[in-house]
Amino acid sequence: MWQINQRGERAFAGGNEDWPGAARMAALCMAFHPDVEEEQVADEARSCYNCRYRRWTAASFVCGA
Amino acid sequence: MRILISIDDTDNLESRGTGDLASEIAREVNDKGWGESSYVTRHQLLVHPDIPYTSHNSAMCFAAEIDESCLESLIDHASAYLARESAAGSDPGLCVTVVDRLATPEALVAFGRKAKQSVVAMTEASALAAQLGIHLSAHGGSGQGIIGALAGAGLRLSGNDGRLKGHLSIATTDDTATVRDIRAHADVDDVRTLEGSPLAGDELVRLRGDKVKTVLIDGKSVLLVVPVAGTADGIAWQNCTKQQLRSY
Repeated sequence: MWQINQRGERAFAGGNEDWPGAARMAALCMAFHPDVEEEQVADEARSCYNCRYRRWTAASFVCGA
Repeated sequence: MRILISIDDTDNLESRGTGDLASEIAREVNDKGWGESSYVTRHQLLVHPDIPYTSHNSAMCFAAEIDESCLESLIDHASAYLARESAAGSDPGLCVTVVDRLATPEALVAFGRKAKQSVVAMTEASALAAQLGIHLSAHGGSGQGIIGALAGAGLRLSGNDGRLKGHLSIATTDDTATVRDIRAHADVDDVRTLEGSPLAGDELVRLRGDKVKTVLIDGKSVLLVVPVAGTADGIAWQNCTKQQLRSY
């Protein structure tokens, strides 16, 4: 589910529309921390897409946790 | 007079969000008797490796009707507030636009749209602000947030960009309300389908959970709805999910 990008960062392989995958990864993650309300985009409260430590990229996000 | 106050790049991974700071400034405009603030909108800007955003690169903006004599006090207060409250390592920017003084508002809107599509330099933002007579100031770090702050003002001025910060609390019966009742909420101007069609006042909308959120369309705060499949209780519509609103 993760790839190492050219900057050496952990990038989510599911892109920015893999809602079930992002929720699965967040369920397994000890570092998950919800972002502020206005930056949450997933309907599942616990989703990498809603996490404070995700940094959006053009195609997906990288995990900063 | 009508002004737009926009801020960007005030946070880090541990701090309050930029939206909270915008809400606080909006509240203080009211509390100090300078005028009346409206809702805060969030505007997505370009996500690109050359842009030093924290995690999402969005700007926050609100409009206010103020007495002209309060403008300088408001700018001074917002400047001091950002300098004091912005997070360590952030690059906060403040933009205050007097809408009626804009000779070419379309230039500000174009800048906002450009910042969604391409990397923009600080010098370009500063030059446009000076040309249009817009207050644009940096309050720490590199000051890179002036780009997003100016872009946020342009996108808010366009009337067709962004989601409103926060969720609405609307009285319902069995999680359902009429379009008329929803429109009666102070922060809702209209109820429309995702395709843009307005709904009649007596149509029923199921409001799912506590996540009722509007978006900015045609300068209005619009609740977008989608059809409910296969119901027999006369409820034809429900509010969009977060995922469905993501592109706004």
